[in-house]
Amino acid sequence: MSDFLSFALVSSLIFSSIRFATPLIFAALGGMFSERSGVINIALEGLMLAGAFTAAVATYELSNPYLGLICGVGAGAVMAAVYAVSVIKFEADQVVAGFAINFLMMGLPQMISGAVYDSSGSTPQIDKAFLLPQFFNQISISSIFALALVPLCWYVLYKTPFGLRLRATGENPSAADAAGVKVPNLRYAAVIISGALAAAGGAYLSIGQSSLFTRGMTAGRGFIALAALILAKWRPVPVLLACLFFGFTEALTIPLAGIRLESGETIPVQFVQIIPYVLTIIVLAGFIGLSRAPKALGIPYSKEK
Amino acid sequence: MFRTITSLTIIFLAAVLLTSCGTRTEAQRQCNIKVGIVFDIGGKNDRSFNAAAWDGVRRAEEDLNICLYDVEPGNPVSIEPAMRAFAERNFDLIIGVGFAQGPIMQRVADDYPNIKFAIVDGVIFEADGKTPKKNVASLVFREHEGSYLVGMIAASKSKSGVLGFVGGMDIPLIHKFETGYEEGARSVNPNIKVIDNYVGVTDAAWNNPGKGKELALSQINQGADVIFTAAGNSGLGAFDAVEQYGKNESGEANKFVIGVDSNQNGVKPGFVLTSMVKRVDNAVFDVVKEVVDGKFQGGFHVFGLDKDGVAYAMDDNNKALIPDDVINKVEQSKERIVSGEIKVTDAMAK
Repeated sequence: MSDFLSFALVSSLIFSSIRFATPLIFAALGGMFSERSGVINIALEGLMLAGAFTAAVATYELSNPYLGLICGVGAGAVMAAVYAVSVIKFEADQVVAGFAINFLMMGLPQMISGAVYDSSGSTPQIDKAFLLPQFFNQISISSIFALALVPLCWYVLYKTPFGLRLRATGENPSAADAAGVKVPNLRYAAVIISGALAAAGGAYLSIGQSSLFTRGMTAGRGFIALAALILAKWRPVPVLLACLFFGFTEALTIPLAGIRLESGETIPVQFVQIIPYVLTIIVLAGFIGLSRAPKALGIPYSKEK
Repeated sequence: MFRTITSLTIIFLAAVLLTSCGTRTEAQRQCNIKVGIVFDIGGKNDRSFNAAAWDGVRRAEEDLNICLYDVEPGNPVSIEPAMRAFAERNFDLIIGVGFAQGPIMQRVADDYPNIKFAIVDGVIFEADGKTPKKNVASLVFREHEGSYLVGMIAASKSKSGVLGFVGGMDIPLIHKFETGYEEGARSVNPNIKVIDNYVGVTDAAWNNPGKGKELALSQINQGADVIFTAAGNSGLGAFDAVEQYGKNESGEANKFVIGVDSNQNGVKPGFVLTSMVKRVDNAVFDVVKEVVDGKFQGGFHVFGLDKDGVAYAMDDNNKALIPDDVINKVEQSKERIVSGEIKVTDAMAK
C-alpha cells in the first residue's frame, strides 16, 4: 500500500479529480440557473451531448477550438431554447420534456455524423494542435474556466438584480410578478444560460479531454451533475465541492483497480467501479440533511392562476 | 395537458423525421448476393474493430459485386430488429460484428435456417449446445497469440519496466488480450510490471475516450511507458494521452501506445509502437467470397498467427521504432507459438 500513497500518485489523483469534475461543474452550474428560476433541468445530459458534438464538428471543420467551443455553446443554448419554449410557453411537463431532449440528443448527433462523415459512431479525430490548450500536461484551459465560473456565478446569483429576481422567481413567482419581474422572460434567460453552460461542459469532453465525439460520450455525466446540484442544495460554492467530490470518487477508482492484495488477488473491477455510486448514496442519504429545492421548482407559471 | 402532448409530439415527430432521413436509398442494381452487416455499438468508424469489418465488406463490395447494406445500432436493443429486417428481406448473408450479438444471432439464426449468418468474435451452437450451428460461420481469433507478440515488443521497448493495459469492457474476450500481453512481456523481462485497467463494465465502456485517457494518464504517472489498448473508441483517449507527453530531443516519443484490431500505427504517427492487428477484414471478406462461390461452411473458423489472422503491424510509421533484433526474437517466438512449442494462455478457454 505504501506506493499507493506516494506523492506522484496523490498529485495525479488531485489533477485527475479536477479533470473529472470539470464537465460536472459546468453542467451543475448551468442546472443551478435553470432550477433556481423554477425550471427543472433534467435535460443536462442531452445539452452536454449537443455541446460535445457541435464543438467536435466545428473544431474539426474550422480548425479552431475557440470557434468550436463557441459553436458548441451556441448549440446548447439553441437546444435549451427549444426546451424552454416547450416547458414555459406550452407548459409541458418538465421532466418528460427534459427526457425528450435527452432522447433527441442520443440520436441526432449520430444521424448528422452518419450523413456527413458516413459514420454514426464517432466524428473524425481532431489534430492535437487544434484542441483546447493544456497547462503542465495536466489541466485544460476549460478546467480553469470552470473554476473561475464558480465565483462569477456566486456573484451573479447573490449580488446582482438579475440574481435576486432569479431566486425570487424560483421561490415565489407570483410575488416576483407582483413586484414587476417578467417571470417567463427571466425563466427563458435562465434555461438558455443553463444550456450554454452544460454545452461548455460537453465541449470540454470532446475538444478538451478527448479529440473526437463518440455517441453517448457523456456517459451519464449530466445526471451526476444533477445529483451534485441537489447535494449542494442549489448553491454555487457547494456545487463546486460536490463536483470535486464526485470527480475524486471517480479518480479514486483508477489506481484502486490495479492494486493486488497481499494474497495476490486483485479487487474485482466491478467492486471498484461501484465506489462512486455507493458514496453518492451514502452522502445523499446520510450527510447532507434536508435538501430543500426552490419552492416553485417544476411548477409552470401563468398569470391567470 | 393538451399543451404537454402537443409540444412533446412536435419534438418526437422532429426526431422521427430526422432519423428517417438517415436511411440510405440505393438504386436497384444487379448483384451476385445481398449482404447485410450489423455493427457493434462502436460504429464503423472506430478506426479499430468495427472499421476492420467495414474494410472487409467494402473490399467484397468492390471485388465481388455484392449489394451491401449496413446498420450501426445506436443501442443494444436495436441490434435484433436490424438483423431480423435483413433476414425478412431474404438476404444471402448476414454478418454480426461483436461478441454482444452472439445471443441475438442465436435466436435469429434459429428462426431463419435457410439464411447464412456470420458472427465475428462469437460462437453459435445448435440447440444441444455442442455442435456448431450449420448456417452460422463463427469467426473467432486467437487474440492472445498476437497480444503475446506485442507484449514482447512492449517489454523490449520499455525503459521503466512498467507497462500499461487499457481494456474496454471487462469481459473474458478482453482478458484474452491482457493475459497474452502480460505473458509476452514476461518472456522478455520476468520482472516487468503490468498495470491493467478497464474503462467500465457496461457497453458504454467502448465509447468513453475521456475515461480511457484518464486511465492511460494514471498508468503513465505510475511509471508506464508503453500502453496497450483494447477498448474501441475509448482506446483513442490513450492515444491522446501519450501524444501529450511529446517527443524527446532525438525525435522519439517519450511514451508509446499499442493499437488494436485495425492497423492504428497511422493514428498518431511516431507515438504508436505497433498494433495488434486482428484481420477481421480478411475473415469477413473470405466468408462473403465463400457465399458468392457457393462454398459457405458453417461452424468455427479460427484465425491465429498461422494464417495471419492476428499479427503485429509493421509499416513506415513504426519501422524506426523497433530494432531488428527485437523483430527477429518476435519472429522466432511467432514460429514457436505456431508450432505449439510456446503455449499462450487463452483466458477464455475453460
